[in-house]
Amino acid sequence: MKRRSFIKSALVASATGAAVTGGILSSNAVFAASHEMDMTKAKSFDEAMKMMGATDAAESDMIKIKAPEIAENGAVVPVGITSEIEGTTEIIALISNNPSPYAAKYTIGAKAKASVKSRFKMAKTTDVVAVVKANDKFYMAKANIKVTKGGCGG
Amino acid sequence: MAKSTIKLRTKEKGGLIQVKSLITHPMHTGLRRTKKGDKIPAQYITEVMVEANGEPVITANWTGSISKNPFISFSYAGAKGDTVKLSWKDNTGKSDSLEKIVGKKK
Repeated sequence: MKRRSFIKSALVASATGAAVTGGILSSNAVFAASHEMDMTKAKSFDEAMKMMGATDAAESDMIKIKAPEIAENGAVVPVGITSEIEGTTEIIALISNNPSPYAAKYTIGAKAKASVKSRFKMAKTTDVVAVVKANDKFYMAKANIKVTKGGCGG
Repeated sequence: MAKSTIKLRTKEKGGLIQVKSLITHPMHTGLRRTKKGDKIPAQYITEVMVEANGEPVITANWTGSISKNPFISFSYAGAKGDTVKLSWKDNTGKSDSLEKIVGKKK
């Protein structure tokens, strides 16, 4: 009798546990859409794109990604992103295979050239996706980088 | 004067000011562990703001995916004599800033 009730209560507990985690996750997603910094909670590339509302981003050859094809050290990978699209207001860099793909967002002021360069960390061989926001539309470009030694934890 | 965490270089070329900057910062992702297996708490720069003559030129929102001692480079339309100010903030509330006048030796 004791054993049976134990199993029963354990089952109930795990069920509620699962429900709660599910609830937390979905509320996080909702929260993230409204709050910039929670973009870091996006654990996959698709999720990050969804949070930005950029799922319909068109591929464009006006965006140039300057990065090495093979990076020996994933902890420091120089990546330059240049957008030749007129009216570029935001450049967002996503590293699709990183634990949190959303890497950086640059808000381009009126005077600045839409070209930025920074050094990124990459956990493993990955696509770097540059999403550019211009005139309230999203454009994107991709570059694949082979990483021989990862740079995210470990 | 304590050493600034920011190194800032500016260069004027054909009406464009090229700004290059290095910031000394550990940029911990929160995923790494020490040799003992303790997690190193996340500490990374969340915002870098660059202003020229008080006007925002570029704002970068960064995450843990930016390398340690981050580097940023870009250019904007400006002239010699502009005051370029770069400031950063991290997720633990630390911050620093540095001002420089384009074309002037420090």
